[in-house]
Amino acid sequence: MAEELNVTIPARLSEVRELSSMVEAFGDANGLPDPKVFVINLALDELITNTVTHGLEDKADAEIRIRMRVRADTLILVMEDNGQPFDPTRDTNADVTSSLEERSIGGLGLHLVKSFADRVAYEFVGGRNRLTMEHDLTRA
Amino acid sequence: MDIEVAEERDGGALVLLPIGRLDSANARSFESIVMERVGSGEQRLLVDFSRLNFISSSGMRVLLMAAKKLHASQGKLVLCAMPDHIHEVFRISGFDQIIPIRDTRESALADA
Repeated sequence: MAEELNVTIPARLSEVRELSSMVEAFGDANGLPDPKVFVINLALDELITNTVTHGLEDKADAEIRIRMRVRADTLILVMEDNGQPFDPTRDTNADVTSSLEERSIGGLGLHLVKSFADRVAYEFVGGRNRLTMEHDLTRA
Repeated sequence: MDIEVAEERDGGALVLLPIGRLDSANARSFESIVMERVGSGEQRLLVDFSRLNFISSSGMRVLLMAAKKLHASQGKLVLCAMPDHIHEVFRISGFDQIIPIRDTRESALADA
């Protein structure tokens, strides 16, 4: 059975570094191509930023749980947090077309997460946000 | 967390080369460097991506701020030497439509 990643981190931006090293090790163990490891780390950076900046309201015990595994040519990434309920799959307001003067950065992170994933699903279960992302590994 | 940024003067332009990762952990550090240079009057700014292997929207936000500020003062920001995986992020973000991206330092200098 391929190696899995299962880690719980405090909800802080500084945690993305150590997490990215763990994702790289997971990628090596599972033979994932570098571009796939990159988009997974990108998604985690965006989602953790989103949770830390918008979802916590200074919650001292805020934590983020990340699980990753490969099943039948699909990479499954599950991220849970105990912040405010927030469904990122419903947020579709990224501005990717207006002029330089008018351009806003809001929503871009989640737009990237959704653009790179093949499937994204959200649930609120047991007081936690749970986002499940799937990446097909057969696709180039 | 601080980012390491190499700086070079090339022609009349200031070239910034962020090194390693530009992510949510060090975007503030990058912001203070870039906006200090723009604020002190640099009008032709190049960001060379040849030594960068990761960027997230936190870092792209800084580039957007700089591009807007330079545009308002008739200056210009040009990006160059971007790895393919980062170029794809700029394309999906529509950033390639508002900030010039050139393959090489030379062509970026010609445009800046």
